[in-house]
Amino acid sequence: MKWSCYTNLEELTEHDDADLDALKRRILVAGLVIFCFMMIIFGRLWFLQIYKGDEYRDRADNNRVRMREIAAPRGNILDTKGREMVTNRPSFNVVLVREDSNDVDELLKKLAVALDLDISELWGKLRDAGSKPRHIPVKLLEDVGWETLAYVENHNQEFPGIRVEAIPARVYHYKNLAAHAIGYLGEISKKELAARDLEIYTGGDLIGKSGLERLREPDLRGEKGSSSSEVNARGFEQQLLKNEEPLPGNDIQLTVDAELQKVAEDLMDAGEKAGAVVAMEVKTGRMLVLASNPVLPLDQFVGGISHKHWNALLENKKHPLINKVVQAMYPPGSTYKMITAMAGLVTGAITKDTVLYCPGHYYFGKRRYHCWKRSGHGAVNLKRAISESCDVYFYQVGLRVGVDKLAEFAGKFGLGHKSGIEMEHEKAGLTPTKKWKKKKYGKKWQEGETLSVAIGQGFNLVTPLQICQMTATIANGGTQYRPQIIEKITDPDGNILEQFEPVVIDTLKDEQRFLKLIREGMEEVVQGKRGTARKVRIKGMTIGGKTGTAQVVRLKQYKHLKEEDIPYKFRDHAWFTCFAPADDPEIAVTVLVEHGLHGGSGAGPVARAMLESYFFERLQQAAEAEKAKGE
Amino acid sequence: MLRIDRRFLKYFDWPLLILLLIVSGLALMNLYSASYPPSPWGMPPYIKQCYLFLMGLMGILCILCFDYKELHFWNYPFYIFIIILLLLVLVAGNSAGGAQRWINLGFFKLQPSELAKLMLVVTLASYYSRKEEDKGYSIKEMVTPVLLTGLPFVLILKQPDLGTALMLGIIFVSMTVFAKVRWQTYVLGVVLGSGAGVFAWFNLLRPYQKLRIETLLNPAKDPMGQGYQILQSKIAVGSGGFRGKGYLEGTQGHLHFLPERHTDFAFSVWGEEWGFVGSIVFLTAYFSMLFVGLYAAMTARDRFGVFLSFGVVMLIFWQAVINLLMILGFLPVVGIPLPLVSYGGSSLLTTLLALGLLLNVRMRRFQTGQNIEKMKQK
Repeated sequence: MKWSCYTNLEELTEHDDADLDALKRRILVAGLVIFCFMMIIFGRLWFLQIYKGDEYRDRADNNRVRMREIAAPRGNILDTKGREMVTNRPSFNVVLVREDSNDVDELLKKLAVALDLDISELWGKLRDAGSKPRHIPVKLLEDVGWETLAYVENHNQEFPGIRVEAIPARVYHYKNLAAHAIGYLGEISKKELAARDLEIYTGGDLIGKSGLERLREPDLRGEKGSSSSEVNARGFEQQLLKNEEPLPGNDIQLTVDAELQKVAEDLMDAGEKAGAVVAMEVKTGRMLVLASNPVLPLDQFVGGISHKHWNALLENKKHPLINKVVQAMYPPGSTYKMITAMAGLVTGAITKDTVLYCPGHYYFGKRRYHCWKRSGHGAVNLKRAISESCDVYFYQVGLRVGVDKLAEFAGKFGLGHKSGIEMEHEKAGLTPTKKWKKKKYGKKWQEGETLSVAIGQGFNLVTPLQICQMTATIANGGTQYRPQIIEKITDPDGNILEQFEPVVIDTLKDEQRFLKLIREGMEEVVQGKRGTARKVRIKGMTIGGKTGTAQVVRLKQYKHLKEEDIPYKFRDHAWFTCFAPADDPEIAVTVLVEHGLHGGSGAGPVARAMLESYFFERLQQAAEAEKAKGE
Repeated sequence: MLRIDRRFLKYFDWPLLILLLIVSGLALMNLYSASYPPSPWGMPPYIKQCYLFLMGLMGILCILCFDYKELHFWNYPFYIFIIILLLLVLVAGNSAGGAQRWINLGFFKLQPSELAKLMLVVTLASYYSRKEEDKGYSIKEMVTPVLLTGLPFVLILKQPDLGTALMLGIIFVSMTVFAKVRWQTYVLGVVLGSGAGVFAWFNLLRPYQKLRIETLLNPAKDPMGQGYQILQSKIAVGSGGFRGKGYLEGTQGHLHFLPERHTDFAFSVWGEEWGFVGSIVFLTAYFSMLFVGLYAAMTARDRFGVFLSFGVVMLIFWQAVINLLMILGFLPVVGIPLPLVSYGGSSLLTTLLALGLLLNVRMRRFQTGQNIEKMKQK
């Protein structure tokens, strides 16, 4: 440690004390400076606290300034045509500022008597507020009516500490329309609060809890404003000093068509059907309808959902909390036959003219596999096999290509993986392969299982959105679009912040030349004499479609029963997926009715009504033109 | 280097330590009130400050183990280390209110600009004590200290933290004037200084910084804008009156009107709750600490010790004065804490380490003195 100060010691100690003395004189000067400042500060304290003390005490007592946050109105949600689906209205909460009340218990009792309230509920609210700072308002009553509001405002002198607070609340112009896509709001939880930026959120704030309200929270929430008011000792605001208006959130325009969505939901609702209706523009991937029934009762969530209502939702056997468009998985049933057909055509296992014979059943191994038509279809080619949904035909095609090829083609059409739509908890579905079964069950794949897979039963699982996407890809000639749900985001002044364009995920090349054939088969399903969906026909327009029945269970005990007598939860799911117009498709519609028995009768009419609504003007023109011709 | 000597105990500055403990104790008590009622989330500030205070005391113990003169050497690594930290803040710091000031260390956020203040005191003390000039420093000799100050000054200004940057300037000026410079240097300094000030006003200062200064000149103009904090602070202190409203009873302090009531405005809470009497008592103890510090500078036996103690006293003094004058409505809101009183780990640690140096100088005052005696005898 020789390097240290001691080498400097001589140099340092050589100077005489005179220099140090000069420094020390300056230290005295510094001491004097410090003393002067101390005296200035003492003098100022005397001036403020004694000379002007009374004046400042008055100001502190009577003119305290309080800053308050003003909640920002959330952004509006519009449909594709600019119709307002969700906006805001002012709502009024009765709040208590504990700091302004001398006797909170007495105050609450008085309030409970005056407004005829349950005192224990008020005490409960107070208890929940717990250790929050006393100047932070405690919500006593949320979204009160005009009578309560008027009473509290008129008698505010009698209730020091009780105040009315105006905050924006959600208004749902179409009631519960597209409730799963839009989502609901709720009070921010402690966990959410801990995970988020405390400069933006404080306890008691509303935050998106599901759907787009949650996913697009940063766009929708806006910026809080603040107001500063002078309040007197009893907490009454004397004068507004500063008011920083909140900045409303950004508006979100959906691709969803509210009127079309309404048709879908109303029809499902009228038939007390549970399930999903999905419609997509085939040339853009824009989602026009995203309906999941039963709908979420959005209005029950405004101002916090009650325990009773929440439990009712949880216990409902039709699962209203699940967004069946993407969160529920079903066997695709016969809608899968297009995949099997495509696999057969591309691999060369069949051609468009391959004829197979259907006696009503097919022997494989030691088992007999039935066609849905026990009497058999006779000799069928591909087109007929699709239009009449012949199981025996597709059993054989499935066997020829094998389950792994089937899975490969299903994947190309979007089955078995997430579509990437902006919805929560999207399910990927399942397209089984030999490897998958080995991994999952540790067992070898049985060839017999390939037969079930080929007609869309067995391990196959899909979401309604995936079937719609598949239909759209078939209809538009092989372009797979990412399902799009938001059209654009605009700021409150209407300037576009973000415009969403169609996104192509994949373009199918090998399959393209066979798509026309598949479409013709699907056209037969609706337009053909023996098609399974003849009921869906619309005068003036050709439609291509496919029915499907997803088996829930296959129980011997129900075999002899009439369909209506099978218990609800064991009935088959009904699929119908279609596109129109058949010659130049614009829209793909997929309907799934849980336990709806048959595609053609259970799901078809909903799809038909949707097409009629979507093409309403065109159909009318066509009808008029025909009429004119007739005359 | 570490030599235990019985005289260490004898020469230890007990009054300074006792004053430090009194002031810190009262400050923690005040912090409890300033952050009352406790927030349901996170560790309450006064507990955190307690931990950091204990950490600081341990830091003082460590400092006492080494002879302060070794800082002649350690000063340079220390300087470079702080500069690196300041650069780091600019690159990867945590931002608050648009300014990047912190490095997040997990248990607390380090604010290197606080450490930079102490670093500057040590650096300048080391420089001036080595280069002695009877007639005062010439312009040429001032180049090195100006550069040594200028580098951290610019880095802190970039964060942007005008208050702390100005603090560095003030420390530089105090210590340089103390070291004595020639009159030509003064003239040049004043000319350049005012030139830089005018330039800064028109080119460098951000609008909010200008607003603060303008508000000071005319606070009534906009009572809810920038003058709001000052006005409310004055009301808080003034309403304390002669005896104060009593501990935890301050109404101004517990309303939401002062966003920084436990940091920069901590003393207005004290003034409100303890009144004129309490404020005088507290500030007397506080300033006594500074006077005892100056006494340490007087009794130091070498030039470095004198400069070091003087610099430490100036470091605490100027921050305290600026903070108090701001709270009492004489200065704009610049974001300078009241050392030991305001909540803030980096400021507390820096102040305690600085006082540790002061204790160190005082404790070792016999050593060099005796050496001089010996030299003289030779």
